[in-house]
Amino acid sequence: MSAASAATSGDASHEPHGTDTHESHGTDTHCPYCALQCAMRLDGPVGGDPGSPVTVSGRDFPTNRGGLCKKGWTSAELLTVPGRLTSPLRRGTDGELHPISWDDALDQLAHELTRIRNEHGADAIGVFGGGGLTNEKAYQLGKFARIALRTSRIDYNGRFCMSSAAAAANRAFGIDRGLPFPLTDLDAADTVLLLGSNVGDTMPPLMSHLQGARAAGGLIVVDPRRSTTARLTDDGAGLHIQPVPGTDLVLLLGLAHVVLDEHLHDETYLSERCSDIAGLRRSLAPWWPERVQQTTGVPASVLRHLARRLAAGRSTYILTGRGVEQHVDGTDTATAAINLALLLGLPGVPGRGYGTLTGQGNGQGGREHGQKADQLPGYRKITDPAAREHVAAVWGVSPDDLPGPGLPAVELLQSAGTQGGIRALLVHGSNVVVSAPNVGSVRQALGRLDLLVVSDFFLSETARVADLVLPVLQWAEEEGTMTNLEGRILRRRRAVDAPDGSRSELWIMSELARRLAAPGVWSTDPAVVFDELARASAGGLADYSGLSHGMLDALEGSEVGAHWPYPIGSHGTPRLFADRFATDDGRAQLVAVRPRPVLEAATGDQLTLVTGRLLEHYQSGTQTRRVPELRDAHPGLVVQIHPVTARDRGMTDGARVRVSNHRGSVAATVATSIDIRPDTVFLPFHYADGESANLLTSDAVDPLSKMPEFKTAVVTLEREATVAISD
Amino acid sequence: MSPIVPLRVVLIGFGPVGARFAEEIVPAVASGAIELTVVGAEPGAPYNRVRIAEFAVGRADRDDLDLLDIDALTAAGVLIHANVHAHRIDRSVRIVELGDGTRLPYDRVVLATGARARVPHLDGLERVPCQTPTDAAGDTAHSSVLDGGGALTAGVQVLRDLDDANALRAVVAAGGRVVVLGAGVLGIELALMLAGAAAVPTLAHFGPAPMPRQLDRGAAWVLSASLAAAGVQVVPHTRAEAIVTRVDADGVRRFHALVSSDGRSIEADVLVLSCGVEARTDLATEAGLRADAGILVDHGLRSWSDPNVYAIGDCAHIAGPATHLHDKRVPGGPSGLIGPGWRQAEWLARAFVSDVDGALAAPFDDELPAMVVLKSEGVELVSAGEIAPEPFTPAPRGEVAPGVAVWADEEHGAYTKMVTRDGVLTGFVSVGMPRTAAELGVLYARRAELPSDRSLLLRLDSAGEATRSIAGPEATVCVCNAVSAGVIEAAILDGCSSVAEVGRCTRAGTGCGSCRSRIADMIEASGSLETAPA
Repeated sequence: MSAASAATSGDASHEPHGTDTHESHGTDTHCPYCALQCAMRLDGPVGGDPGSPVTVSGRDFPTNRGGLCKKGWTSAELLTVPGRLTSPLRRGTDGELHPISWDDALDQLAHELTRIRNEHGADAIGVFGGGGLTNEKAYQLGKFARIALRTSRIDYNGRFCMSSAAAAANRAFGIDRGLPFPLTDLDAADTVLLLGSNVGDTMPPLMSHLQGARAAGGLIVVDPRRSTTARLTDDGAGLHIQPVPGTDLVLLLGLAHVVLDEHLHDETYLSERCSDIAGLRRSLAPWWPERVQQTTGVPASVLRHLARRLAAGRSTYILTGRGVEQHVDGTDTATAAINLALLLGLPGVPGRGYGTLTGQGNGQGGREHGQKADQLPGYRKITDPAAREHVAAVWGVSPDDLPGPGLPAVELLQSAGTQGGIRALLVHGSNVVVSAPNVGSVRQALGRLDLLVVSDFFLSETARVADLVLPVLQWAEEEGTMTNLEGRILRRRRAVDAPDGSRSELWIMSELARRLAAPGVWSTDPAVVFDELARASAGGLADYSGLSHGMLDALEGSEVGAHWPYPIGSHGTPRLFADRFATDDGRAQLVAVRPRPVLEAATGDQLTLVTGRLLEHYQSGTQTRRVPELRDAHPGLVVQIHPVTARDRGMTDGARVRVSNHRGSVAATVATSIDIRPDTVFLPFHYADGESANLLTSDAVDPLSKMPEFKTAVVTLEREATVAISD
Repeated sequence: MSPIVPLRVVLIGFGPVGARFAEEIVPAVASGAIELTVVGAEPGAPYNRVRIAEFAVGRADRDDLDLLDIDALTAAGVLIHANVHAHRIDRSVRIVELGDGTRLPYDRVVLATGARARVPHLDGLERVPCQTPTDAAGDTAHSSVLDGGGALTAGVQVLRDLDDANALRAVVAAGGRVVVLGAGVLGIELALMLAGAAAVPTLAHFGPAPMPRQLDRGAAWVLSASLAAAGVQVVPHTRAEAIVTRVDADGVRRFHALVSSDGRSIEADVLVLSCGVEARTDLATEAGLRADAGILVDHGLRSWSDPNVYAIGDCAHIAGPATHLHDKRVPGGPSGLIGPGWRQAEWLARAFVSDVDGALAAPFDDELPAMVVLKSEGVELVSAGEIAPEPFTPAPRGEVAPGVAVWADEEHGAYTKMVTRDGVLTGFVSVGMPRTAAELGVLYARRAELPSDRSLLLRLDSAGEATRSIAGPEATVCVCNAVSAGVIEAAILDGCSSVAEVGRCTRAGTGCGSCRSRIADMIEASGSLETAPA
């Protein structure tokens, strides 16, 4: 990137860290991408001229302090890049997608859905949501599935993202709010343990909150790769621990063992705030450091040092990310991290804490209001009779009319076209043919459907294979709310008019509900839908009942903000667990966990594949791969590999290779780096078609959270030429 | 799908391996598919014997040794007979008879009787026959081994159980002198822990080098030096011959000194015998089951002699009967390590559950080959597989010499040897190089190919390796926006004279802000270098 090109795509008028001096009629909103939801201002189009560009500037806010990353700065380009959908598309008899009118699209869709429901039952229709949808859309989608379609078969891509951390937090604390404290609490920390999180690439502005820990030499990053974030530990700023991929659980058991063994635990805290420790203590007994070393490759001496460093911290935080959670033992691994935090007396104590860094833009709110297969709004259980009664009353139906729990994402997708499975699928805010595990089989499964309907604003790879594509609004064109990684509810505001032909998902649901003769009220106004969400969530764990769009507008930018639970009459809850945990007895539950047998392990010349993210891309890349500056930084799939591993296979930088296993194969370009273990390769998962890293990942799932295994596939590497000849 | 009549399983031995088996099978007991009766010779709940030395030196508490919840086991329906020995197994009627006369019928019996410490012959060492009612069944008078330390001359002991550990604890607490005889892994660990606990340890061993089976000459050399540096007095070439005793005022004859064949004597308050272990096979052999280094079992952990008898842990010798049935001496034997024992316990419990479910279990394949990792803070040592091959040694005719790579740095106490066949690590030893040792351990267990540049594995411990960073124009300065030093320099040359201006031109510093001071430095540096602006 040259300075000159940056100047044209950026904005010469923004004042990233200074006070905002704009006099224009800019719109204060938040970034379209990750869960940090950086505050930004969108200006223009000047004079209302739709042809002139919208400009982005960072806005002072407690989380991002005026900063934005490369994705945020370039986000306005999403509003003008080619390829925006402006008409419903229907696959014709020629196999191609053709524009049709909204009326035709909705009539045909309602007709088809009714036919499938009549012929195969309501559960033959599936709904797949996304963690990027606003709270209003996520809520309405859950309601639409349950009372308009009357199907139990709804789940969402958060299953691939936050489900393990959520399951672990729920069983330990009785509640799942990613960070149970404001991000700014981290500023004063002298010790931060980051487990499997590469915030340096995924949500860079968060790094401003890690500077205190770095200055104290206490940033500890656990990652098999020397990631951007791991590099922040250089020069005395902390410690990088590089375990073998897939061994985080054992590593955490070893740390907890040392803590107990050396009496580094907080006896008072444990006796006052936690369940009985005896079972945990016994379960940790077999995990002495030398044994842990044999599995993790982390020396016993390092484990001891790390445990002591964590205990010595005056202000210590433990944070987990997808790196430790996206595994078949992800729930237990997150539980082991929670156990370690509890032993050290961190959760619910000022200046200390445990949290998970939520990934998707509304990954927090998206998992609270009914997109999950087993959940009703307010983070209520769909199996709980009281919850059903409350929500049914808000929706104006009988509790008996609500379906029961559905199928988790992997199972839902795989059920397509099978006996008792789904025959139609409505996808909102998700690009499953890129982001799902073992994506080759998902692509086949979608092919077995009678009807695939995708709502998106670009022709995503999933939309490309749909029978019906519905063009919807993107972030700067809509009103709504997002709940960020701290459980802070934020306002998303409209800065520009949506292109003609696109419609809001609230409108689509309302139109379909009418055509399906569904009960209930189907507002198309996000503020009204929010009010209904607030009522539906009242009394639930994620209680939004004291909030409204108006309230949020008034609170915007205040240091306190609006953190849920926010019941009527309260001022919200920036910090959870001050007095008690949300469990029945108010105590945090210490749940003993242990490793399960390894599913597949690399032997001989096989390598372990770790998948992950790049700075320039968000999720499946539907948006970011369309922004030229982001796309051009990494135009194609690149496999990161250790130079010695590459040399042993006769590969050099820039060589074209195939990364393969029994599930599939991708073509990639070699980039050698000593930042990766010699036995491991890294692929970002943002790419489409034959470059999808998820062609290689396993769809084996965690027994509790149903999270798939994204991080430890076994692969082999071959030079592409060799493959061509052998073919 | 549990059968109407539950499978009756009697487990003999309630050490760490037996406990793991019981724990694993509890769900099947709770569901009624299996009826489990446990026989344990020691009183109380099972404990983690692996950490007994840590308990003995006061580094671990009794609580830290707990392994399982006896109450939960009992609540699930497991019947426990503690503090009693199994007297005999009558295979003809499938009954286990206990020392107290109780008769336990079984469909399957699992032996997890473990191993006992070997006691060498030493002149002056008394072996008082055990008089306790819990006398080990089959502990016949001619046995050269003993269970429990109470049966030896006062001040001489082994270190296997809680009683042994409590005896040693008193000496350690008083800062006493301890001579450890035997430099196997347990002896070395104990000596190091004693040094760390402010006791005065002497490690006396046979031959020139410690751990002869696990270490080659270089590793042994470095280890000996490390032991000395840690405060352990090492006495090699000790052919222990006798002990000298004295009679104290209380009339008790106590250990005074260890005497070796060359006439040297080592005075101490206590002598700990760490001379290896022997599988407890008596119960099995008296029942007519074949044993060698342990009770012989096949890869289903089932006795060669009786399909209803199984053995796991330190008492089990796994070998294929098809290949070795007629061998006089069956190769292999118990590893003496807890890892394999636990894996056997887990596998067997799963296999039993599969059996009652009508499923077929895959044969036990110990995917993790035995590895010795010295449990010690300060001396990092790992050894596994074949370590004897030396570099530059021609292979005998018809054999292929293995690949051998060695790093030796005597001055700094670092040594590593890697032995490979077809690129796959078949053995290694590493001292004083923790990351290298840990990494090789993982690669060995996985039977992975080593990178052709073996030196890569030696550099993991280098401090410089961790902190090297790319310099020059391509180095990233602003992480949030992926802006390199070169781009920022170009912007400065183009006239950007403040951090904010650089940010406007390049976006550098407009994310988390942590590089802003660096950008300010770059602006300052360029200003001071330039005599005339471009």
